[in-house]
Amino acid sequence: MQRRNKLVIIPAFNEAGCIVNTIEDIRQNAPSFDYVVINDCSRDETGALCEKYHYNVVNLPINSGIGAAVQTGYMYAKRYGYEYAIQVDGDGQHDASFLEEMAEIIEHSDVNMLIGSRFIEKEGFQSTGLRRFGIRYFTALIRLLTRQTVTDPTSGMRIVDRNVINMFAEDYPKDYPEPETAVTVIKNGLTVREIPVRMKERQAGVSSISFKKSVYYMIKVSLACFMAAIGVK
Amino acid sequence: MSGTVQQVVGILCIIAILYIGNLVRVKRLELKYALVWFAVGVMLLIFDLAPGIMEWLARLLGIALPINMLFFLGFGFVLIIILTQTVVISNLTRKTKRLTQEVALLHRRIDNIKTREEETKEIIASIQNPNVGVVNYIDSEEP
Repeated sequence: MQRRNKLVIIPAFNEAGCIVNTIEDIRQNAPSFDYVVINDCSRDETGALCEKYHYNVVNLPINSGIGAAVQTGYMYAKRYGYEYAIQVDGDGQHDASFLEEMAEIIEHSDVNMLIGSRFIEKEGFQSTGLRRFGIRYFTALIRLLTRQTVTDPTSGMRIVDRNVINMFAEDYPKDYPEPETAVTVIKNGLTVREIPVRMKERQAGVSSISFKKSVYYMIKVSLACFMAAIGVK
Repeated sequence: MSGTVQQVVGILCIIAILYIGNLVRVKRLELKYALVWFAVGVMLLIFDLAPGIMEWLARLLGIALPINMLFFLGFGFVLIIILTQTVVISNLTRKTKRLTQEVALLHRRIDNIKTREEETKEIIASIQNPNVGVVNYIDSEEP
């Protein structure tokens, strides 16, 4: 069934506009990866497109949210014995050529989670002003809770090894998981490292974090980070 | 409390308890979650039949009007019930999510098995009938 030991997890909710590009990009530029699309009960053509091109798609029968979709990917990775898993958003914001680069680094180190950061070399799409402020705030919060620096804690581009796959398959936040899971991983005694990446501006679709939701985001994620810091198993 | 009100409330309490009991009987309410409602009904009934208890409790806590004691108790009960329900809902959410994920993954597996089965059949057919060339399925399969 599977020939590779690395998996790309592509959560997709109403991403018909760029799902095909995303997958073809991965197939071409990340040949050492298998991929799985988690279609979170999209209302558009996402599911139909995946069927049409015979993509490896897992269709959630009930819309379950981004967290559940990504976790399904980790469950898939655990079940089929993948060594490494990386999450790539279905909106084509990430550059697939970085997948191989990240895989190369994590395979030759004992890092458990490798995060692609936009803010180390400050290249490519740098997000908007207010969002950058939010990201800095989370960097500070995580430093306070774990004494480690994560320059881009909201980056969705992160490759994890089998230890973290197993952890995420068991327990993964419902929404906005990035900063929280960084804390969880560090607090469980696993290592997190960052490498610089360049991100593109999204091709289609809207960010899951609208201005209106940002207040909820800040409070929820702050609390979640705090809980993750004190809730060591 | 006047005698009539006392009787009406008492009857209402008994009806409510019987109604909850029936819900449990016809399995529309889990006994586990019915217990707290039974407790509310029984306590109301006790307070109704023996108003002295509430007056005594109110005096003990320094509450001037016994009716405020009733409001206070009711509020406390409602909070407990809502919290219990939030816990139950969280539990259900977690379980539904797990089931959704399991179903989705199983579907994927069934599809994969079906595809492989068809491929195997075609290969067997081509072996039995050598005129039809064997396509290289080993390369074309995709997880």
